[in-house]
Amino acid sequence: MSAPVSAGAVWRRVLPVWLGLMALLAVACALAYAPLGPWTAAVSFGIATTQAALVALLFMRLIEASALIRLTAACGLFWSAILFTLTFADVLSRLTRS
Amino acid sequence: MTDPAIATEAPLHAEFLREPWDGLGLPQEEALSYQRFGATFGIWIFIASEVLFFGALFLFYAAVRAEHAEAFATAARETNIVYGTLNTAILLTSGLSAAAASLASEHVPLRRLTQWCLVATATLGLAFLAVKGMEYRDDIAEHLVPGRGFKLPEPSAQLFFGFYWLSTGIHGVHLTVGIGLVARLIWIGWRHPERLPGNPQVEVTMLYWGFVDMVWLFLYPALYLVGRPG
Repeated sequence: MSAPVSAGAVWRRVLPVWLGLMALLAVACALAYAPLGPWTAAVSFGIATTQAALVALLFMRLIEASALIRLTAACGLFWSAILFTLTFADVLSRLTRS
Repeated sequence: MTDPAIATEAPLHAEFLREPWDGLGLPQEEALSYQRFGATFGIWIFIASEVLFFGALFLFYAAVRAEHAEAFATAARETNIVYGTLNTAILLTSGLSAAAASLASEHVPLRRLTQWCLVATATLGLAFLAVKGMEYRDDIAEHLVPGRGFKLPEPSAQLFFGFYWLSTGIHGVHLTVGIGLVARLIWIGWRHPERLPGNPQVEVTMLYWGFVDMVWLFLYPALYLVGRPG
């Protein structure tokens, strides 16, 4: 992606992302009151994940970062996935037994 | 290193160079390019460690919520969704000005835009803390601090508010550090305007700010969007 040189070019790159983030915030807030039952948590955290991905890729510019930087960013998620999987293997097995 | 993503048309300043890059005897442009890459790489390693730190906090939340879903819904209904949503909007807007500052800092003609975006970022950060402070005041007045005299009868509702105070407190500390770092950049830009364009410290600070934004994006549904339909 070529770097912008005018103030207008900077705003054209970041303003659409911000509008998307604010729209997702409005949707998340509205859907929290919808009778979605067990899906409520999945929907609200799904929207949060989408927003975080937009921030990481477009505001923090991972989309144009080198492979090493992207790999470093992915490491945090990978290790967190191990943390969550192993802990939940224990927590959920005890929950189903009781 | 000739990574197009970190190439910049901003002027090269010998004062941006730090050890050990200036001792390698590289041409200045190449040394600064190495250093810029090293700075970005370093902050991402820090961010990955922070993801694990906050990941452990969210793990506590997820595990306790799996066991006490009803009590968590009851407790979460007590949080103030107006303050929460307002603060999310404030923080997302600060993310916008931070991203704009990072982009603008790569160009000398956009020095003033960089400076104003930094000022907007720090101001919005302070606005977030102000709203958070008002929310804390209301929470304390409503006896939502775990311990004796807690508002709700369910014991596990106190676990939710334990997480609420701990996570928002740690996030607030991170945001305060971020405001300090941005204020430092504003000071540099005010005293030495020529040192802002092309300075790797702008991108590093803005990446940190983006991370603090992301943490809040997950705290918002965890604290404010639970148990609302009931």
